[in-house]
Amino acid sequence: MFSRLKRLLRALERDDVRSISRRYFISNGFDGALTSVGVAVGSYLSGVPDGLTVFKIGIGAAIGLGTSGVWSVWEIERAEKRAELKRIEHAMLTDLDETQIQRQKAGARQVNALMSGMGPIIGIVFPMVPFLFEGATLSMRDTTLISIGVAVAILFIFGAYLADISEQNWIVAGARMGLAGIVVAVLNIILPG
Amino acid sequence: MLDLLKPHDPDVVTFAESVAGCEGVSGVNIVLVETDKEVQNVKLTIEGDSIPVDSVHETVEDLGGTVHSIDEVVCGDILVEESETPQD
Repeated sequence: MFSRLKRLLRALERDDVRSISRRYFISNGFDGALTSVGVAVGSYLSGVPDGLTVFKIGIGAAIGLGTSGVWSVWEIERAEKRAELKRIEHAMLTDLDETQIQRQKAGARQVNALMSGMGPIIGIVFPMVPFLFEGATLSMRDTTLISIGVAVAILFIFGAYLADISEQNWIVAGARMGLAGIVVAVLNIILPG
Repeated sequence: MLDLLKPHDPDVVTFAESVAGCEGVSGVNIVLVETDKEVQNVKLTIEGDSIPVDSVHETVEDLGGTVHSIDEVVCGDILVEESETPQD
């Protein structure tokens, strides 16, 4: 257990592993945050009577997208890293099973899959939390608006983070990402159904 | 002195550190001889009072490298340099 954790932390030190994990995390987190906006607005518009029900629906979506994130990336990276290893084996004319390079690739795959799964969970669970407070003080309308706000804030943070690593203007990049949340909310309102 | 073929990753620094970490090895020198698309050919010079050949082999293989050949070995109580011959 401890050695596995050490291997994951060692993998996280590598730039290439961080870069791929970052992409999966942001991409799936983006999916998650927009899904949460859809769940929140859709639930409100279709007249779901209490916040707890919306929260449960959101958690169901988080489980689905989180599992999808881990599972798909696990399989994608298994194939990609296996192909890389085969290419090196072909050039080396040797078997690289049970070598450090093979263990490194396995560790990288685990980190990629973990980060891919964490993205949508963060992107959905946080925006769903306001629905737990629906009741005496907050109405369904209030919690829906707060939930959209939280999702937009998460999207803004994703954008600002991407801007930070690519030396762009973090306010502009954050606003560009956050805008997606508002667009999804508006689309949910204006589209039929 | 070993002639090695290794993948680009792990890099020569990791290679040098790992081989230098073998018991009985006092120092290591790695020189890049040739770089290919996927692999690198390096010359690995190891010095030490009692170099554990098997352990060095295992370390190199664990790092994904292959020993092509052992090109020079010096052992005994005194350091013997390579002699020049008329063919040289």
